[in-house]
Amino acid sequence: MIEFNEVTKRYSNGTIGLQDATFRIEKGEFVFIIGPSGSGKSTLLKLILHEEVPTEGEVYVNGFGIHDMDRSEIPYLRRGLGVVFQDFRLLPNKSVYDNVSFAMQIVEAQPRDIRRQVPIALALVGLSKKARVYPHQLSGGEQQRVALARAIVNNPSVLVADEPTGNLDPATSWEIMKLLDDINQRGTTVLVATHEKSIVDDMKKRVLCLEYGHISHDVQKGNYTNED
Amino acid sequence: MKIRTIKYMISEGFTNTYKNLLMSLASVSMVIASLLIFGIFLMITINLIFNLNQIQKDVEIDVFLKRDVAIMEADAIELKIKNDERVLRYERLSKEQTFYELVAMLEEDSRLLEGLTPDFLYEQFRIHLKDPADSEVFSNELSTMAGIDDIVFPQELVNKMSLILRWTNVGTVVVLVVLLIISVSIIANTIKLTVYARRKEIGIMKYVGANDWFIRWPFIIEGMIIGLFGAVSSFVITSYLYNEVEAYVNQEAAAYGISNVLRIVPLGTMYAQILFVYVIIGLVMGAVGSIISVRKHLNV
Ligand SMILES: Nc1ncnc2c1ncn2[C@@H]1O[C@H](COP(=O)(O)OP(=O)(O)OP(=O)(O)O)[C@@H](O)[C@H]1O
Ligand SMILES: [Mg+2]
Repeated sequence: MIEFNEVTKRYSNGTIGLQDATFRIEKGEFVFIIGPSGSGKSTLLKLILHEEVPTEGEVYVNGFGIHDMDRSEIPYLRRGLGVVFQDFRLLPNKSVYDNVSFAMQIVEAQPRDIRRQVPIALALVGLSKKARVYPHQLSGGEQQRVALARAIVNNPSVLVADEPTGNLDPATSWEIMKLLDDINQRGTTVLVATHEKSIVDDMKKRVLCLEYGHISHDVQKGNYTNED
Repeated sequence: MKIRTIKYMISEGFTNTYKNLLMSLASVSMVIASLLIFGIFLMITINLIFNLNQIQKDVEIDVFLKRDVAIMEADAIELKIKNDERVLRYERLSKEQTFYELVAMLEEDSRLLEGLTPDFLYEQFRIHLKDPADSEVFSNELSTMAGIDDIVFPQELVNKMSLILRWTNVGTVVVLVVLLIISVSIIANTIKLTVYARRKEIGIMKYVGANDWFIRWPFIIEGMIIGLFGAVSSFVITSYLYNEVEAYVNQEAAAYGISNVLRIVPLGTMYAQILFVYVIIGLVMGAVGSIISVRKHLNV
């Protein structure tokens, strides 16, 4: 499903983003990526999305070799991935419904499928009633739910979230994490980079911990501060 | 590409042009300005070519035969002229004909010719070549034949005309290329603003897995709309101004009695061709400008 083989990412200015990382994530897993600021969490996720390419080593995602891939294949890699960011990245001039349907339009989905899938995705994140509302009329948590609905509407096999609760209060963060868990229960592989100590500790998921670009721990049912 | 995708792209293109109305209008006016300048050069070229062609039609080579030329010699010369591929048409004028032409030309002053007979004049060939630029070579070839007294053609004029024609063509092409580059970069800048304003959207599209052409097309359409509006407006302005100039100059020329030398060509059926050229140039400029400005932002 996702495989990193002795992967090193060195940025053009010489900074090490990730060093010698090797791990495997199976279909249907839920994995927290944790570690101090600058430890390489975002770098790891960017490699999965082919936003960056590895300097050394091999990265496989859904059968695509990120380290050795044609530019023209990138859209097809990404159609199998859903992505959520800390800053939501909604389109302010489109309604909630249009923000979500947009993701289906641009992969040229059938209008019939769009009309069916968008309400399902909105219902899943609990925003059915706000379909006609615009992003600025929503709270941060609600905006992130829209982003989640957009990320899952094309039924990706992997969902990648980079600090999805970074801008949210603890209660709202919990709701979002619960949603991610729901999505995972429905069969989607979920990767979440986060600093949320208490949530990671409570959810008892696999935890991949980074320090200075190295993988320092990789524990099933782990805690944020895992001493093995 | 699917029909609904094409619809989506066209509507996006129009929406963006409208949302960026001010910038779009600024770009449109730059396109208008460039095409106006191009238009001025184009019109000058068209008029030069037309007038030069008019003049060329009148360029003739006069071959004067010796007074005592033998019939056989004159016939040999005629045969040579008749069989030459470069000759458009020719006339053989007898001494009588040249004499009566002269009488007609002098009008009331023809009294001067009193007492003279056609024998006083020369037999003559009056030749029009397909391309007056061949005049010199043709004359040199002919001059070796027996029975010719003199060959006269407007050498200076012929040389100057071919020079003017060549440089006018070069000039129009250069002006066109320069203006195209300027306009393309101006359109590129406008689209760059749209692209910049929508970089978030482009980023999201990339993350969701839209392919490059899907992202590019709405911008290309936006550029083409700008180019098209610019081209059509510019055409309208150009043809209006041209008509004004045409009417004015032709009227003045008539007033001074120089209509035969200075004449502005009526464009007539050429309007459609000019509009076509403008529209093509506008569309191409817009598309190229957009492709240039979107390129950088696609590498996410
Ligand atoms: N585009 C880049 N060019 C150069 N260096 C970069 C770039 N992106 C990240 N880095 C560096 O790579 C290292 C890892 O960065 P990364 O963004 O992966 O950290 P992170 O774990 O996501 O941090 P945070 O928790 O603050 O988001 C850092 O030292 C960072 O400065
Ligand atoms: Mg980060």
